[in-house]
Amino acid sequence: MSSTPLIADAPQPPPPAPAPARNAELLICLPALEPDALPAALHAISSALPSESVLVASAAPPENPADFPSLDIIPYTSARSDVGWILAAGDYASAAQLAIEHNAQAVILLGGDTAALSTPSAFDPTLLRNLVDCIRTKNIDLVLPRFAVGPNDALFNSALLYPLSRALFGADIHFPLPIDAAISARLAQRLVSTTQRLITLHQGSALLWPVAEAAAAGFSVREVSAGDAAPPTPPPPATQADFNALFTSIAGSLFADIETKSSFWQRARSISASPVQASAPPPIAELAASPEIHSMIETFRLAQDNLQEIWSLVLPPQSRLALKKLSLLSPDSFTMEPDLWARIVYDFTLAFHLRTLNRNHLLGAMTPLYLAWVASYLRFVADDPTRAKHAIELTASAFETEKSYIVSRWRWPDRFNP
Amino acid sequence: MGHQMAQQISTALRQSIQRIILVLVKFLPGVLAFLFAIIIFALIGWGLAVLVRRLLIALKFDERVTSNEGPGASGILTEWSPRNSPTLLASRVVFWICVLAGIAVGLSAIDASYSADERYSIFLLPYVAHVTGAILILLIGTLVARFLARSVLIGAVNAQLQYARFLSLGIKWLVLVLAAAMALDHLQIGGTVLELAFGILFGGIVLTLSLAIGFGSRDLVSRSIEKTMDKPTPTRPTEIPTRPDTDTPPRLRHF
Repeated sequence: MSSTPLIADAPQPPPPAPAPARNAELLICLPALEPDALPAALHAISSALPSESVLVASAAPPENPADFPSLDIIPYTSARSDVGWILAAGDYASAAQLAIEHNAQAVILLGGDTAALSTPSAFDPTLLRNLVDCIRTKNIDLVLPRFAVGPNDALFNSALLYPLSRALFGADIHFPLPIDAAISARLAQRLVSTTQRLITLHQGSALLWPVAEAAAAGFSVREVSAGDAAPPTPPPPATQADFNALFTSIAGSLFADIETKSSFWQRARSISASPVQASAPPPIAELAASPEIHSMIETFRLAQDNLQEIWSLVLPPQSRLALKKLSLLSPDSFTMEPDLWARIVYDFTLAFHLRTLNRNHLLGAMTPLYLAWVASYLRFVADDPTRAKHAIELTASAFETEKSYIVSRWRWPDRFNP
Repeated sequence: MGHQMAQQISTALRQSIQRIILVLVKFLPGVLAFLFAIIIFALIGWGLAVLVRRLLIALKFDERVTSNEGPGASGILTEWSPRNSPTLLASRVVFWICVLAGIAVGLSAIDASYSADERYSIFLLPYVAHVTGAILILLIGTLVARFLARSVLIGAVNAQLQYARFLSLGIKWLVLVLAAAMALDHLQIGGTVLELAFGILFGGIVLTLSLAIGFGSRDLVSRSIEKTMDKPTPTRPTEIPTRPDTDTPPRLRHF
């Protein structure tokens, strides 16, 4: 039997030569690393898992495979996602296919961010060990790392990805769009069928939402701490157009996934979290705002003046009234309530589903509202990690509380828009 | 004398009425044939549309198109379909093709009811085709204008351009004026006067904008450029105080 990795639509090197299939309990898939970084990565894997039968699938084979006698190294074709640094559907498809061919009981996919993985000490043996232990001993199907982020980091994740994933799919996973992931054999089998359509359509570089996929299939999902390691992040968007493109790409993919799984999340129960008490933002004296916050509020106000025609197609009158009031607030009291933000996101998700207007226009019109949430969040957080955690929890709770709103609107879209 | 005159008037009127009745007698069958052809073809179209719709539903055409467009894709076909259903779009296209065919057959029937030396139908047929083309041009122009206006408006707002609405309206009316001029040209109304007027109008708009940017809006443009260079200037009466201790803003990471 030969391994035939699935080919993604991104530019790829020539397919590797077929290799004889070897059975292994654990399969680790590595993206194309720098030639100097690959030996270090392989050493880290062999030291982290000394007593394991490990099959390593590497996009670029090492110069001297004999230096790693405990590792079986096979070729692997990794995809490059549309947004660059996140695992793509093609990655999951290739890894799942290899896992089935080699009877692997667990698969670990490491990083779409090859630059970060190529740096010295990029591999954390403890995280690797934790991922393997969790998937083996606790019989978890999908294990994702939870990175440490600062109060001003991963804002899009805190505003949209985490709250939506938690409210709709009942998965308390802080980074639902993973950079590294560990999956079980049965989830790998499901991913093969899920990604098959995308691969056939040459969309291997499209994003895949494994948390939603696992939740919809009734598989268990867990996150393990990555310690103090910060998540690999892309370079900040150089221009506003780059930011908009990234925003549209990720939000569009998430909304499309929510649309696909609507029959699941309409009947799924949210996780039972204890209610979060809102706390007042700190006094304005502590909140000397940065020009970035100022710029975000200005963008929101400009949108409030100019995008009414488009927002009126998406948002019900109550939300538009609340936004109007928000735009009139002075910056020292600029606060977007979490429940308002949750309803806005749900309204845009519904409009995406109903194709109320062109989807690129829709997501473009949502960007100023996201920036308003970010400005409000930063004002609330004031660089304090504890307050950041509290704010993220408040937002996620609001999404859970307002879930009935999206379910009602999804079923009867015109009821709220007389 | 008076009696002869009255007889001549009476004869002239009778002949005139006879001619008109003759024209109507020739014309009415053509009109009836025209209406009959439209009704028959509309019924055929309705039947075919129902057939096509049932066939496509059985083939799960909507699902196939949606899956081919892929998750997150804009889905042009689905987007332009009524109620986002390509099946409905296909069935309506079939129906309207049949109606158009009925109109063509009806016009041909009117044409046949005239003798060859009469000029009505010779004039009418190509003009109907021109009117249809002009309506299509206007329709497409309106759709393109709306799409471009929204694209420009959203892009300009996200780029923090204060004159976003002005830009959007400018684009919208430029496209609408262009479409209207093309439609009138297609109808052969106005001739060179129209071309000249449109050239003057379009050239005038471009020249005005150039002059406005070159002279009158220098400050506006420089402020915009400054904003894109991350140098905010106060525009609202209530401003957020800037950090007193440091000029370096906190590093924000959206992704």
